[in-house]
Amino acid sequence: MITSGLIGALLWGVVIGCIYILLATGLNIIFGVMKLVNFAHGQLLMIGAYIAFTVTTALGLNAYLAILVAMGAVALIGVGLERFTFRRVLGTDKLNEIFVSLGLIYVFENVAVLLWGNTPQQISSPLQGLQLSLSQDIAISYDRLSAILIVIVILVALFLLLKKTKIGLAMRATSQKSNASMLMGVNIEKVYIFTFALGAALAGAAGALYGILLPFNPTIGALPTIKAFAIIIIGGLGSIPGAVIGGLLYGIAENTAVYFLGATWQDAIAFALLIIVLVIRPTGIFGEKGE
Amino acid sequence: MKKLLLDSLSSIRREVVTFSRSQKFYFVILALVIVAIVPLFVNNYTVSEVLTPMLVFAIYASSWNLLASSGQGSLGHAAFLGIGGFVSALVAIKAGVPPIIGLFLGSLLSAAVGFLIGLTCVRLKAWFLAMVTFGFSVIIVTIFSIPELDEFTRAVLGFPTPLIVDRGLPFYYLTLVIAVVSILVMYLVMKSKMGLAFKAIHQNELEAKMVGINTAKYRLIAFVISTFFAGLAGGLYAQSIRYIQVSIFDPYYSFLPLMMAVIGGLGTIEGPIIGAVIIETIESYLPRIDLLLDSLVGREGLIPLFPAVSNVGPPIRFLFLGLFLLVVVIFAPKGVAPLIRKAYNYLRSSPQEEKT
Repeated sequence: MITSGLIGALLWGVVIGCIYILLATGLNIIFGVMKLVNFAHGQLLMIGAYIAFTVTTALGLNAYLAILVAMGAVALIGVGLERFTFRRVLGTDKLNEIFVSLGLIYVFENVAVLLWGNTPQQISSPLQGLQLSLSQDIAISYDRLSAILIVIVILVALFLLLKKTKIGLAMRATSQKSNASMLMGVNIEKVYIFTFALGAALAGAAGALYGILLPFNPTIGALPTIKAFAIIIIGGLGSIPGAVIGGLLYGIAENTAVYFLGATWQDAIAFALLIIVLVIRPTGIFGEKGE
Repeated sequence: MKKLLLDSLSSIRREVVTFSRSQKFYFVILALVIVAIVPLFVNNYTVSEVLTPMLVFAIYASSWNLLASSGQGSLGHAAFLGIGGFVSALVAIKAGVPPIIGLFLGSLLSAAVGFLIGLTCVRLKAWFLAMVTFGFSVIIVTIFSIPELDEFTRAVLGFPTPLIVDRGLPFYYLTLVIAVVSILVMYLVMKSKMGLAFKAIHQNELEAKMVGINTAKYRLIAFVISTFFAGLAGGLYAQSIRYIQVSIFDPYYSFLPLMMAVIGGLGTIEGPIIGAVIIETIESYLPRIDLLLDSLVGREGLIPLFPAVSNVGPPIRFLFLGLFLLVVVIFAPKGVAPLIRKAYNYLRSSPQEEKT
């Protein structure tokens, strides 16, 4: 019985790790291209979950189609954020980015409270209650399986976007040397807007998946941001494969730790890990890029 | 063209408005007289619920500001507020130490913990430092609330704090004295050679290192001084609300000094004080915004606006704080303090300009 419980924890770790991967990848793309850390990234996840929830309940849309709506809507919010807040402080004191993020956290969380209230909600999925049994006492629900599949599809699409398209090339060039790519005719401002919108869309998708799998309220955004941050530091700043590996490792490690130590330690463990890594390597494990 | 315009705009924004030394002196005297006299003319509730927290948070925000002046933006200062509050109350209850001594023991322990945490932080860059300090505050709250320790600290349920002096005017004046001394000490630190080193590290750590500043040492010193005063503020805060509980570690208390310092004016000595006054006023009087909204649109008018919330006061207040912070950081990166100076100079200079 112990083993089946552990396997359940590991499976759930993979599923929740996939959500962390989406969030961490978005954060990582934004950091890689713009050298900007958006601490309000988890609040975009929360907004994404609420948008998906609203379109499924109000319009009766399928929960999995609502993911696309959430991605689009959060990407638009991202465009607004980049244009009206972060661009204003980009290149000034690094502390200003932290201050802007903090202001945004307050704004998003309280707008969500005003619009949707404090009570926990969950998106109802068409696959609810169905599960695939792998053996006698190990089963995985179809919702969790499809979450893993969706994350894989999104990551493949992202990879193709970065490697095969012109805007992907421009993003990679900007992330290496923004001044040089500007001289080569890349419109940096457009690249920044696109990057931020892309990162926000990934957070929106993560939010919709989160809402399908777990109940959520306006304050769920804060911890995923920090976990995504820890994943980026473990996996390497600006590296997408690193974020994927880091996300899976983190999701599994967190859930095994909860399984053995109990839920009170869940968040403290995340930070202990983060701090140990940073004490050994102050710029992260693959941190040469981080200035 | 647009760039030129932006440059000229930002040069106007950067224009430093300074006061002469004697002017500054008179301002300080005037401010001291005001804070000493005002409580005599307001009711007891305002003294203990609004004015005393203002003083406490002025110390707290100044301590955060001192740390930020060395380029280290902490997102976990509530850890030190909480350690100061808990330790000062616990030594008074468990060991029978007089509460006023307990206050300083609490700040010393907070500084000791700050030293240890600072050791891990001195090599980190801005974002990493923010995350790690936030992480430490989560770890410290977890340690305080694990069942084995909770039997001793009673942190989860909380307990009433032993009072130094009565609430109301006596405690206000005690806090005032401590606040004036603390802020004076922080002022002297920031004006000294050490403060200059902090500023150099903030502007460019690599260059500071090149001109021979031991950056790790100075960042650690900033951490210790800052956490000492944060602990002191924690002890006073526990006294002012008369009760201490694990909720003092809430991230809200970590973000509060940041907001106060940034809104008032980062890196200045008067900034955090002005910020504390502004935020504490908002916190004390804006909760009644739902009553105001009620009277404007009526109960029936309010419900269709926000059907999901029963009490719109707190979310609107926090929304307002967030927007305020955004507007200040984006449009007035130096905070409100220079604007007040500018307004004063404008009022003084405009009659003379008319003559010439």
